[in-house]
Amino acid sequence: MSAAEIRYETTLGALPTLTGKPTHYCAGCEHGTLTRLIAAALDDLGVRERTVMVSSVGCSVLAHEYINVDAVQAPHGRAPAVLTGLKRMLPDRLVFSVQGDGDAVSIGLLELLYAANRGEPITIFLVNNAIYGMTGGQMAPTTPAGMVTTTTPHGRDIAQTGRPIDAARLVASLEGPAYVKRVFLPVRPTASPDLYNARGALEGERAVRNAFEVQQRGGFAFVEFVSTCNINWKMSILESKRYAAEVLAPLYPEGLYRDRFGVEAR
Amino acid sequence: MIAATPEVLPRCRVEIDAERCKGCDLCVVVCPHRNLRLTTGFNRSGYHPVEFHFHGSRGDCTACGLCYWVCPDFAITEVARRRP
Amino acid sequence: MIDSREFLKGNEALAYGALRTGLNAYFGYPITPSSEIPETLAAEYGRSAYPEFKAFLQAASEIEAINLAIGAAAAGAKVMTATSGPGFSLKQEGISYAAAMELPILIVDVNRAGPGLGNLGPEQTDYFQATRGGGHGGYRTIVLAPGSVPEMALFPSLGFELGFRYRTPVVILADAFLGQLKEDLVFPPVAAPAFDTAWATTGARGDERHVLSSIHLEFVDQSRHSEHLREKYAEIERAEPRSSEVATDDAEVVIVAYGICARLARKAVRELRGRSVRAGLLRPVTLWPFPSQRLRELVGRGVRNLLVFELNSGQMVDDVRLAAGGRARVESFGRLGGLLPTATEVASAVEAMLR
Repeated sequence: MSAAEIRYETTLGALPTLTGKPTHYCAGCEHGTLTRLIAAALDDLGVRERTVMVSSVGCSVLAHEYINVDAVQAPHGRAPAVLTGLKRMLPDRLVFSVQGDGDAVSIGLLELLYAANRGEPITIFLVNNAIYGMTGGQMAPTTPAGMVTTTTPHGRDIAQTGRPIDAARLVASLEGPAYVKRVFLPVRPTASPDLYNARGALEGERAVRNAFEVQQRGGFAFVEFVSTCNINWKMSILESKRYAAEVLAPLYPEGLYRDRFGVEAR
Repeated sequence: MIAATPEVLPRCRVEIDAERCKGCDLCVVVCPHRNLRLTTGFNRSGYHPVEFHFHGSRGDCTACGLCYWVCPDFAITEVARRRP
Repeated sequence: MIDSREFLKGNEALAYGALRTGLNAYFGYPITPSSEIPETLAAEYGRSAYPEFKAFLQAASEIEAINLAIGAAAAGAKVMTATSGPGFSLKQEGISYAAAMELPILIVDVNRAGPGLGNLGPEQTDYFQATRGGGHGGYRTIVLAPGSVPEMALFPSLGFELGFRYRTPVVILADAFLGQLKEDLVFPPVAAPAFDTAWATTGARGDERHVLSSIHLEFVDQSRHSEHLREKYAEIERAEPRSSEVATDDAEVVIVAYGICARLARKAVRELRGRSVRAGLLRPVTLWPFPSQRLRELVGRGVRNLLVFELNSGQMVDDVRLAAGGRARVESFGRLGGLLPTATEVASAVEAMLR
């Protein structure tokens, strides 16, 4: 029997919504994983031509290079406002942003909270890696106490800088949002030292899909992805996954903080 | 190319674009059967790309797809099962 | 609902003018002396008289407002925001982005006294900020200077026309006096022209997608983009300067003034002519592109004295000096803090210049 008569059936394959351009993200960065999850969800929903994304400033600044949809660049922190302007004019399109923790929780906190408060039917994905990545590793609003960054070289001092901010809970404290979820996206260590658990990516896939569905039903959807930044945390890739599991996961517990339409119950 | 009967050809395969791979190791560590290993060679970007072995050190590939979902660089471009 | 003939405040006239030309969205933050604009629009929002008016939102901040406008403009909509000096400062980053992404947005600045918090009186101290591309990076915005309540009503329509023709933000630079002044006016008929928005981000079409972005990491790409903007601005400078004149045909001295100052200057010219002084008035209507060519023509025809009358300590005078090219005397006359001189004081300043 010749090899030509053997047929393989693709179970997981090309994602048309990806542009195919190699990413600028560092090796092992969850930005790349999230990009794939978003593309897969858009393909699944068949909405590529009815989607407009908004890029923000930070490592997410080039996110639109990888996802093959119409895109607008927002100034630093302003993506929720740009999304709102777009959606008010194009109510039947799907609009979303990818934002970092500096963009969404520091300079853009007003825009985030007001879009959430208004319950705008938009979708916001927050990549929280507890540091300012693109600018070279400065403290972020989500940096844990004691963490060394380039602007906290002796460790983050709460007395000087305040406590890390819990974005998912802050957004969920408002009545406006319809879906608020936090996912631990990195691979997790297991009892075996050389085996890691990929549950985060699968949870992430569901969360992204739900977040789009919530928008289609007219609700504001926010998903925080706890992530890593091994380069600026000055760790190896796998060390950074362990650090995230040990320090960030308890500080930012994953969970469903709001599900007004019950999309997760199905 | 090895001529072989269908019984010994791999039940599933994982396609890898070695030039996209950044050698991050995530697919290697999530694979339950150890079907993926970083090579000692380099791709054009200077990374050690990963390669797929149907017979892993802990078992054969079952096309679970975890590598596909976890790869941040779409270097795992396809997971396929042989049709019965 | 309004009739075509009304007696309105400048701010109200501007709001109705925008509605009657097909305004799709308004986002803004309250700030005196511009708040009548959002208040008028809020009252008209949702009424069947203006079916194009699809979104009104009082933003949480000036910065949120300009960014809401960026989103709406990216969708190809006619969008406006209004503010005064302090808010205009806050919007500059957004305006820079809008210029870079070539988005038409109407930004109304009802200039009040400053710097800082200042007061609520009229000044023309935002001239530099408006005409020099007040945000970071190299760009310009078209700047329209209404000189009357009827012009407040007309300029949204002109602003959208120019904004969409050249894909650029347009600033309407009014002042506190004009914003609050009530005058008789007749609106032109309601007309909501459709503009070319093929560039808008409304969803990919097959393989074709639009990306509105201002990031150009490769220096060569950024250079090319900035060159393109430069060429566009050169075209605007060639084709779009606007001004109006009073009694310049035989003038020996011309007052250069815009906005409320032009009203006073017109009266000063009448007084001076009554005393046999050959005075005239050149009123720039576009502050950028500045009507330099017209000014050069007047100087070339024999106007040797230019008195620049503005409510600041000398901003437009720089552009007048540049245009005059050393071939006329250029002097500055102004008033600060929200104060206005009388027309007689303006006339005296002209006579002092001629002595």
